[in-house]
Order: sequence, then C-alpha cells, then structure tokens
Amino acid sequence: MIARAEARPWAETNWLGVGIVSAVMLLLPWGLTLVDGGNYFTHLIITFFVWGIVAQCWNLIMGVSGIYSFGQLALFQVGAFTTGVLSFSVGLSPWVSIWAAPVGAVLAALVIGLPTLRLRGIYVVLLTLAFHELLRNWVTTGPQWISAGGYGLARVPKLGFEHVLGPQYEKVFYYYTGLVFFALATYAIWRILNSPIGLAFTALRDSEDYAISRGVDPFRFKLFLFAFSAFFTGLAGGFSAHYNGSASTSLFDFGVMINLLVMIVLGGWGTFAGPIFGTAVLTFLTELLRAFDLYRILALGVAMAVIAVAAPEGLAPLCTRAFRSLFGVFFEAEYSPAPGPVEPDANADATPRDG
Amino acid sequence: MLKVEELEAGYAGSQVLHSISLRVGDGETVVVLGPNGHGKTTLLRAISGLVRPRAGRVEFDGTELTHLPTEQIVAAGVVHIPQGDLPFPEMTVLENLLVGAYRSDAWGARAERLERVFQLFPPLAERQRQLARSLSGGERRMLALGRGLMSTARLLMIDEPSLGLAPLVIEQVYATIHAIKRSGLSILLVDENAEHVAGLADRMYLLEAGVLVREGAAAALLRDQALLAAYLG
Amino acid sequence: MEIRDALDALLQALYSGVLSGSVYGLMAIGLTLIWGSLRMLNLAHGALYIAGAYIAYGVLSALGWPVLVTFALAVGGAAVIGLAIQLVLINPILDNPGRDSASLIATLAASIVVQSAILLLFGGQTKELPPLLEGGFKVGTTLISYQGLVVIGAAVVCLLLMTIFLRVSRRGLAIRAISQNMDAARLMGIPIAPTFVVVMVISAGLAGLAGVLLGSILFFTPSGGFTPMLMAMVVTIFGGLGSVPGTIWAAYIIGLMESFLAVFVGPSWALPGIFLFMIVMLVLRPNGLFGLGEVRRL
Repeated sequence: MIARAEARPWAETNWLGVGIVSAVMLLLPWGLTLVDGGNYFTHLIITFFVWGIVAQCWNLIMGVSGIYSFGQLALFQVGAFTTGVLSFSVGLSPWVSIWAAPVGAVLAALVIGLPTLRLRGIYVVLLTLAFHELLRNWVTTGPQWISAGGYGLARVPKLGFEHVLGPQYEKVFYYYTGLVFFALATYAIWRILNSPIGLAFTALRDSEDYAISRGVDPFRFKLFLFAFSAFFTGLAGGFSAHYNGSASTSLFDFGVMINLLVMIVLGGWGTFAGPIFGTAVLTFLTELLRAFDLYRILALGVAMAVIAVAAPEGLAPLCTRAFRSLFGVFFEAEYSPAPGPVEPDANADATPRDG
Repeated sequence: MLKVEELEAGYAGSQVLHSISLRVGDGETVVVLGPNGHGKTTLLRAISGLVRPRAGRVEFDGTELTHLPTEQIVAAGVVHIPQGDLPFPEMTVLENLLVGAYRSDAWGARAERLERVFQLFPPLAERQRQLARSLSGGERRMLALGRGLMSTARLLMIDEPSLGLAPLVIEQVYATIHAIKRSGLSILLVDENAEHVAGLADRMYLLEAGVLVREGAAAALLRDQALLAAYLG
Repeated sequence: MEIRDALDALLQALYSGVLSGSVYGLMAIGLTLIWGSLRMLNLAHGALYIAGAYIAYGVLSALGWPVLVTFALAVGGAAVIGLAIQLVLINPILDNPGRDSASLIATLAASIVVQSAILLLFGGQTKELPPLLEGGFKVGTTLISYQGLVVIGAAVVCLLLMTIFLRVSRRGLAIRAISQNMDAARLMGIPIAPTFVVVMVISAGLAGLAGVLLGSILFFTPSGGFTPMLMAMVVTIFGGLGSVPGTIWAAYIIGLMESFLAVFVGPSWALPGIFLFMIVMLVLRPNGLFGLGEVRRL
C-alpha cells in the first residue's frame, strides 16, 4: 500500500510564525555574544546546522526513499577532505575550495551510485559500508597530502571571519554562513519532498514494483536523489572543515554514524521535520553528556534499539501532536509522515491468488 | 471429523469468505468446487492457519483449530497441500519427502512412510536423488502429495491438484488421489473442474463468491446437468 | 622475482589465504543462514565475533581457567548474546511491515551496544589470547604456527559439521526448508520462530568461535569486528545468499584472493581489490557463485 503523501507546497504557512522565528534566528548570535558562555551556545547551533543538513540528507535517502546507504558519513568526509586538501595542501583560498566540497561529494556519489543503486537493498548496505571503510583506510594511511600522518588535516584554513569584527564576533559570521547553508538545504529538501519527485520517491520506497509499473524508473531517481543528498552533505562537510579548522579521521568512527542515525530515527524516520528535531535534541544532548562519551554511545545504542522495536515512527510525530499549537510554522508545512519504515506486505496474503 | 462453522476470512481490506460451514467425516472425501477467485484457496488457508479467520470456528476431532499456529494444526493431523506449489527447489526428492515427516511422531517412522510413498508414486522412487526443481509439473504435484503423506495427517487438504497440468498428467495425479482415498485418509479437495472428481468425491459443495451455494451427495450433484455444464472444462 | 622468492611468496599467500578463508567461512555461514531463513542482514555479526574473543579474554584473565574450556565458554557466550538479540530485538519486529529497515537499525544498534560495553569493560588497548599450541615451523620464509594449523583444523571441522547438520538432521532440513519456501515449510508443521532462534544461536556461536580462533593468533580491539564482518558479507554475497556450500567455497576463494593481493601487489591493495572484484561480480552475476534464484527485496 502506498502511503499518501499530502503534498502541500502552498501550505497554510503561518507567516507570523515564520517571521518571528526568522527574526530570532537572525538576531540570536549577536545577543549571544553579549552573554557569558554565549559563544559556546552559538557553537552548538552551528554544529546543529552542520549535522542537521547531513541528517536531513540521509533521511531523504533512507527514510523517505528506502535506499539503505551507509555512505553518508563518507560523503561528508569527501567534502571535508576535498576542500581541506585544496586549501591546505594546494593553497587555494577556502572560499574557493569550499565549493569543491559538494562537487567532490557528488562525484563520489555518482561513482558509488552507478554500480550500486541498480542492485537490491542488501547489496547497497554492503557496498556503501565498504566505501566508508575504504575511504577511511585511504585517508588514514594514504599519501601525506591527505592523511598528514593519520589524524587528518589539522590546520585547514578557516574562513577569515576573525578579521572582520574581531575574534569575539568570529562565530557570528560562521553562524550566518551555517544558517544560509542550512536554510538552503532544508528548503531544497522541502521542495523536493513536496514535488512530484517526492511522491515518486515515496512510491519507490513503499512499493517498488508498483512504481515501476507506473513509469517510474527507479534507478535514475535513486541516482539523482543520491547525488542531490551528496551535494548538501559534501557542502556541510566542507563548511565543517573550515569552521573547525580540521578535516578529522575521527569523524569516520561508528560513534558518529550512530549519532547521526539516532538523529534520524529519534526524530521521525521518513518525515520532514523529524531529522531536524532529532538533530536538535541530539546536538544538545551530546554536549551535555560529553563527559560520559562512552556511556553516551552505549545509551544511544540502547535508545536506538528501543525505538526501532517499539516506536518505529520515532518521537517527532508524537511530539508533533503535542507542540502543534506552539510551533505552527514547522509543522504546518510538514510532509506527511509515513507510518514508520513502510515496506510492502511481505506475505502473500496481501494479494489473494485465486481467492 | 472436520467441522467448519460460520467461517469468515479475507485479506487486508477485503472479505473473501462469508459464513462458510462445512464438514468432512472420517474417511470421507469431500470436494469443494468453485470458479477461480471465489475463495477456494482462502478456505484451505483459513483452515490451515496461513490466514487468520475473522470469525467462525474450525474444529477437528474435538480440537479447536481456529486460532492455532499452523504447526499445531499440522500436529493435530490436518495437512494442507498448497496449490501449484514448487516444492523445496534446492532439495532432492528424498529430502523433500523427509521434510514432510518433520513432526516428531512421523520422523521416527520415516523409513516406513517413505516406503509407502514410493509404492504409491514409483516415479518419485526413481528420482529420489534428483533436485526437486528438475522435476516435471506432474512429478512435482506427486512430490507435494507424497510429502503430505509423509506426515501423520488424517485429513489431507488438496488445493487444485490439476492446475496447469496436461490432461494425461491430471489423470495420473487423480489416480494417485484415488489411491490415497483407498488408504483410508480423509480428503478435502478443492478444484475448479468437476471432470475428474466423479468416483472420488463422497460429498460436494459449491463455492461461489465466497459463499457455499450447494451441498449434497456427489452422485446427486453430478447428475445435475446444469451444474455439469457450468463446472466442466 | 627469483623462483625461490616467488615460491616463498606463494606459500605465504596460500597459508594466510587458507587461514583467513577458514575464519571467513565460519562467519559467513552464520550470515548466510540468517539471510536464507530470516531474510535479514545481521549487522551485529561483527560484534558477536569480537565478543567471542573478549569473553575468552575476560574469563582467562579473571578466572584463569584452562584454555579449551575458556574457548568453549566464549562460543557459548557469543551464542547467548545472539540469542538475546534475537529474542529482544528481532522477534518483535518480524511481522512488522517495516521490518527490513527496522532490522538493519536494530542490529546496528545491538552492535553498538555490545561494542561499547566491551570498550567500557576492557578498555581500548589491543588484547590477545594465548594459543593452544605454541611455536611453529618455517618453510622457506613462511612461518607456519601450530596455532594457525589448529585454527584451520578447527574451522574446517566446524564447517564440515555444519554441512552435515544441514543435510542430514531434522532441524537442518527444517532450516533449509524455511529458507527455500517459508509457507510450504509452515504447512509441514515446521515451527518458524523456534527455528529462527536455532539459526541465530548457531550463527552467533560460529561468529564467536571465529573471533576466539582468530584472537589466538592476532591482536584485537573492541572495534575489530567490523572489517571481518564486511569480508564475511562479501563472502556471503559471492557464495550466493542462502547457499551454504557456495559460501564455503567463496570463503576460501576470497581469503586466498585477499592474501594473494596482499603478498603480490601490496597490503593496502587487498581490501580495495576485493571490493572492486565484488562490484564487478555484482554487476555481472548478481546471484553470486551458487546463488539461489531470485534475490528478494533486502
């Protein structure tokens, strides 16, 4: 059964809500510079921007379209290292090289996607995991200009914001850059989800055979989607590299991947607002529990297991109903969530043969 | 022996069987005739537990089968031989038959049961070590029947044994069903075609659109010309 | 290369190839059985593998029991963890419509939990297990350790036992039946859920055994299960999802391929080489060597 996606691009957007939120978002960083420890909070928000993009992209592939790719993190790193190498080892200005990040990621996505996406689910899992592993291997043990001894590039040039108004306002500009990227990505994804392409993706996820019979060519759609999500993921990776001043191999760790997965699963698998919500929750949670890193990962694993078994829709839909009145803007234009990771009915009972 | 009362069943969003009541007596062969798509397979699946009945009861020799899992229904002695089914393709004929004797009470006696099945179906004995997927249609049907016989079934439910087979092969298959009947097993057989059931069936039911519309002694129904016209060929 | 060197290299490659192949075989059989019957990819397999090694390590350092007993305990321990995963995470979601992605997430989560638990309990430094037999002998420049031979021997024996079990025993037939035609298997009275449990326990035990065996000749860390699992998945796919004989062949072929690449081309080329080969093979022969007909959804 195909979940009906209520596409409402012309949604009853609560313009007042949008206005208020936008104003807050724009003024926030300035306010935070005045507060003690405000800079740290700004840092958290920037982290949220970065991972929010990646989470949404991964959700677009896995949750919405049912492509079991585990290569998202690797694509992020492709972006990070592309711009890192170009700006650090080659010497280009970061403002130039950062645009190479999404391009590099898209190229990588095409390279993986072409052979992989024609194949069924389990192969995609394996091949993307393999890509992740191979990239990690190469980046850690590869030539000096990329591995710099195995820890990644440690001195990627930053974007030069500290010269604009002084170092204490540096984060503000990173904030705005991040905000722009995040907004772009979110908007692009929102448009896609609410377009005929978005419906096609849901159709593919829910019932590939039916979709094919209606003229949807799964491979090209998947490839497009894969590349599309790689674009923004790579961009996020590049931005992250310049923001943090490093392209780190530690971002290949499974702990990071689990973090990302929880963001998607916790927030609402296959929904629009879900990953955003999940990223927000998890970013702050991660920082809070930074001291208990190990236990945090353990707890996340447990949480994810519990969610997978007991609440496959994730927590966002539950919270959606609770907060609908307060945060109208985010949830009015929401892409209608599918009831959990929906797959076609596995047993033959769904179609009586002879009746 | 088998009592079905007011059985209702269907699939997501549709109701296929409406208030079906039938019975199969000890040693009886009952045939349910009906056009394709009218619920014959669903009926057997509802009895064997592959489909959950929505209402009604299924009782066999005093044991209530209605919501039991299939493995317990089989243990009770009701074995469903599905329609047009490819046996376990990557197993040999012998292994296929052995799976039929999975239940522990049958497993111990599997050597004798194997003997009996090979006597009933000589071609299977010849092809013991062949992979099931290399068998012809008729041989696969025989394998499915033989497999059913390996268990301690007291009621065999056979779904459209003639489906997709050439006329000569159909005769062979029905000949072996006759042999099964002679061995004393109760049989519930569903088919679309009345051609071969003469002499086999003791009683018959007619199933149309999920409802049993006629019931009676086979001899009587088979004399009905209008009926014959509708259900032959 | 001189003849002498070439022969040395050949022997080295053969020895390590057979060694890795044996271990991959143990792991891959579990994966292929789970895939065949449950139609599921078990991402916790690597964690079960490393858990075997760590349980053995833990028992040895805490209780100091004899090595053979410890190894057996480790295998049992891994099987128990696998059982827990099956009962707690898998069984509840088996009938869900979203079970494919849910099982991916659930097993990935289980893997994380097991690995972080190990990290918490044992720390991150490399560990090793004592071999059953010390020492070895040299043939040319290749060092063949007795433990290495023990590992190969144990693995081969287990693989043979598994094959026999599946061919001859009632439970083995049931497992094969379920993986070939679940409905028909049901109609023969085969209990589905208990058989799944048996499959999981066997496969987890085998993974644990692989971990223990390899742990007795190589160092290991908590995250050390990932790469072997990846290779086991390659083997499973190459041998044909659901086919046990195919998997055994594939294990040795891949193991040998890996070691030949490492010895004759370069160690960093082994992994990429295998994956390249796999991609090519998937494009040309999606069902693997002995694959069973259609490859279903996941």
